[in-house]
Amino acid sequence: MKLAFSHMLGRFCAALFITAAGAAHAAAPIAQIQATLAKPAVMCGRFDQTKQLSGIKKPLLSNGRFCVATGKGILWQTLQPFPSTLRITREAIVQMQNGRVAMRLDAQQEPVVKMINNVLFALLAGDLSQLDKLFELDGTLKNGNWQVALKAREPGLAKAIGDIRLDGGAYVNKVTMQEASGDHTEIVFSDIKSGNGVMSAEEGAMFD
Amino acid sequence: MTDPAVSNNTPGSPLRERGRGLALAWLLVVALLLSHNAYLWLVQRVSPDTDILALLPAARHDDAMQQAFVHMVDSAQQKVVVLVGARDWDSAVKAADAYTAVITPQAALLQPMTSDAAQLQDTWLSTFDHSRALLLTSQQREQLRNAPALQWSQQALATMYGAFGGPKLGAWQDDPFGLFGGWVQERAQETPVRPRDGHLFVESGGRSYVLLLMNLQQSAFSIAAQRQVIPLLDQADRAAKQAVPDSEVISAGVILHAAAGSAQANSEMTTIGVGSLLGILLLMWLTFRSFKPIALIALSITIGCLGALSVSWLLFGRLHVLTLVFGASLVGIAQDYAIYFLCMRLGADGQLTSPQLLRRLLPGLGLMLLAALIGYFGMALTPFPGLRQMAVFSVLGLLFAWLTVILWFPLLIQADTLRSTALAERYSRSIGKWPLWRSNRNGYAMLAVFAVFTLAGLMRLQVSDDIRALQKTPQHLIDDQIKLSNLLDAPTPAQFYLVRGNTAETVLQREEQLKQLLQAPIQQKLISGVQAISNWVPSQQQQQADRQLIATTLLAPQGPLTAIATAIGETASWQQTLRERILAQSQPLLPEPFLASAAGQPWRQLWLGNIGGQYASIVALRGLNDYQHIPVLARIAPRIDGVQWVDKVADISSVLTYYRQYMGWALLAAYAAIFVLLSLRYRRAAWRSMAPPALATLATLALFGLCAQPLQLFHVLACLLLLGLGVDYGIFLQEPTEHYRRFAWLTVGLSAVSALLSFGLLALSSTPPLHAFGLTMLIGMALIWLISPCFANPVSPSYDNRK
Repeated sequence: MKLAFSHMLGRFCAALFITAAGAAHAAAPIAQIQATLAKPAVMCGRFDQTKQLSGIKKPLLSNGRFCVATGKGILWQTLQPFPSTLRITREAIVQMQNGRVAMRLDAQQEPVVKMINNVLFALLAGDLSQLDKLFELDGTLKNGNWQVALKAREPGLAKAIGDIRLDGGAYVNKVTMQEASGDHTEIVFSDIKSGNGVMSAEEGAMFD
Repeated sequence: MTDPAVSNNTPGSPLRERGRGLALAWLLVVALLLSHNAYLWLVQRVSPDTDILALLPAARHDDAMQQAFVHMVDSAQQKVVVLVGARDWDSAVKAADAYTAVITPQAALLQPMTSDAAQLQDTWLSTFDHSRALLLTSQQREQLRNAPALQWSQQALATMYGAFGGPKLGAWQDDPFGLFGGWVQERAQETPVRPRDGHLFVESGGRSYVLLLMNLQQSAFSIAAQRQVIPLLDQADRAAKQAVPDSEVISAGVILHAAAGSAQANSEMTTIGVGSLLGILLLMWLTFRSFKPIALIALSITIGCLGALSVSWLLFGRLHVLTLVFGASLVGIAQDYAIYFLCMRLGADGQLTSPQLLRRLLPGLGLMLLAALIGYFGMALTPFPGLRQMAVFSVLGLLFAWLTVILWFPLLIQADTLRSTALAERYSRSIGKWPLWRSNRNGYAMLAVFAVFTLAGLMRLQVSDDIRALQKTPQHLIDDQIKLSNLLDAPTPAQFYLVRGNTAETVLQREEQLKQLLQAPIQQKLISGVQAISNWVPSQQQQQADRQLIATTLLAPQGPLTAIATAIGETASWQQTLRERILAQSQPLLPEPFLASAAGQPWRQLWLGNIGGQYASIVALRGLNDYQHIPVLARIAPRIDGVQWVDKVADISSVLTYYRQYMGWALLAAYAAIFVLLSLRYRRAAWRSMAPPALATLATLALFGLCAQPLQLFHVLACLLLLGLGVDYGIFLQEPTEHYRRFAWLTVGLSAVSALLSFGLLALSSTPPLHAFGLTMLIGMALIWLISPCFANPVSPSYDNRK
């Protein structure tokens, strides 16, 4: 039971590592990759996601805007084909749809939420030991462009998350996830801006 | 010095020959007893019953309930649970690693419980994977019935398109509406424990804890195991604190309580036990200038206990530990037979041989035995198996001890074996100075004062049978236990619902009805939740209803599934395929296979299965912190057929109540029966033998009333012993001649002081039952000793021509 839950949150974890943009640490080339990454306190940008689910012929295309704020959390706003917002903070993971809470996981109720956030924030702070604990990192770096493959150290987690690949330069440009179930996801990031002004007042309010 | 040849020539010679024959026969019996005891303890390795509920009458005894306790309590008995906490996870892990490093090499003693996380997870999911369409949470049911179809399709689409679509197990098409994920999430919340980095993790109040589970490889009640395990745990504790100075270690386990109990008993044994042994040895030395009497007294009591044990075991096939403790105390009366013989030997003329002396003492000894047997017989008439065992055990013990005195003592003690000492002389003469109670104005005035005091005291006397008052657990263990059960949100092992039915399906349906009724107390926060097998394996009825609900809402024609197909441009046949795929995941779940699986392993103690043709299960409660809420929970049970509220604490207390009451009646009956018996011999003087124990007992109870000490079973037990010993003293002091009465007084003194030293010193014990027993003996015995000469028959001086 406990393990199954970590299994399903493993997916969250994986996703969070990716969104955390600075997901390349450890090992020799990893340290260099780490050095090429910008580590802003706040960054926002556009994402384009292509999902290929087994059993569905057409790929599912969606896009939207994401923000990552150190010490606060992550905002993932899907705009197309229909709006939906996911907010991940230290206290809870909340999914909003049409102004209604569609899903909510409270840290108080579900301790793993806090755990995920702890890992995530450690990651944003550039804490190599945290990421290295959960994943084996294998990276290559060429002309400022890099690629990292992540493999969960725990077999159970690895099975749940599948294979993850990150492509990037100063920021993460692309994330690819291949699950054992056959579901495949690709997220491409663009228009990434950093600095204090990038988050709109409305977005900032969502963290409060 | 009497020459043996001379003794052989005495007129008692044929008597002596017969005595030798009987003594040899008795030796054979004792040899048999010894070998039977050796066989029982060493070969069969029998152990007495410890379940206090086994002491209830058979009609009140309930197999299913008994098993329920075994499941809930015994499964926890061999576990040691430790939480190692620190301000952050890394420090907690570091401290926990230091802790386990100490334990791991001692796996033969304490086996850490580990599991292959990946494998467990696989098997865990496979248990439910093919039954997804049958599992819904109550919240999901509610939403499926009431939420608009649009909401479901939107939610499903959001999951499909989202990067993190919420909890999701396996491929999207296996759980398009996230129902199974939600169900698993609800199951996960039955415990706050989560796996993290290969450890079990609990978080509370900003601190992180590593949960360590260990299995004790030897019995928690084995003193040898306790001596090894406790220092090991202490050492591990220190190692954790050394690794991380601000770490905390919270431990719980039956062995900790058991060890604290034995440590206390041990230190008391050395102080009280050694004190009382030294006291008795000194007493005997001062009286007889020899240790032989004490050896002989011990011999008679030991044979009494061994005989009682052997024969009771043959009669009952089992014995309860309480029988052994109570029975062995009651056999303590047997000291009187030996002391009586020894003192009378001391007082008798050197010309009188021991067999002749015995003949003279036999009527008195016989009466004492008969009085005790009648006194204890009352307990055998109660419907309680424990009391019957105790009665039989005590009666047998007294009989064996008595026979040992009768058959062996005349041969073991010659006229010249014992010599009187100055102290014995001085003490024995003191009886002459004792005031006699007479039926005159002064006598009745004293009686009136006594009556007022007694009435005042008895009216204030209260009773207490709370089992919790009988245990004295060190505070730090209780604190740790509370902290631990709060952190782990563990269910209480002593209070739960017992659900029964003719089939497993009925039991599960009743569990479901019960859980419905428990929603109210959960919402009122009286409890935080329930653990039940039906949480994992709903009844077939519920499983089918859930499948039907999914089919008629989510998968209905033009329902949410159609909306999704339209949104992603899929065809009607795609819909049909997915619909069939979802509904195909309906392999019925049954309790037995679930319990056999790895997923069911933690919940096995909840399912009692088939007991005597009936199925039974436990619905356990989490977060029951305030015992005042128990009546609310108890009232729910009668509302559903086959559901029973079980409260082991209350049940044990009720056992104690019954026993206290029945023993109280047995005590009164014993007074009446012994009075009748003594009246046959002493006629109108019989009351003189009964008055000392009766008055002393009343005074003692009155004193407890005035000191606000509530009456327990153990006080009543002591009162029974007071009666037994007190009546003996009455019989001794009925001795008509002044000379023999002096030695009867010596007998009373020796017996009373021995009883004070062996039982009365238990008043110093900090174990509540022993303290209660000891205090009653201390006060009561001292009173009996002091007042018994006051009720002796006034001596007719003319009769005394012996000295």
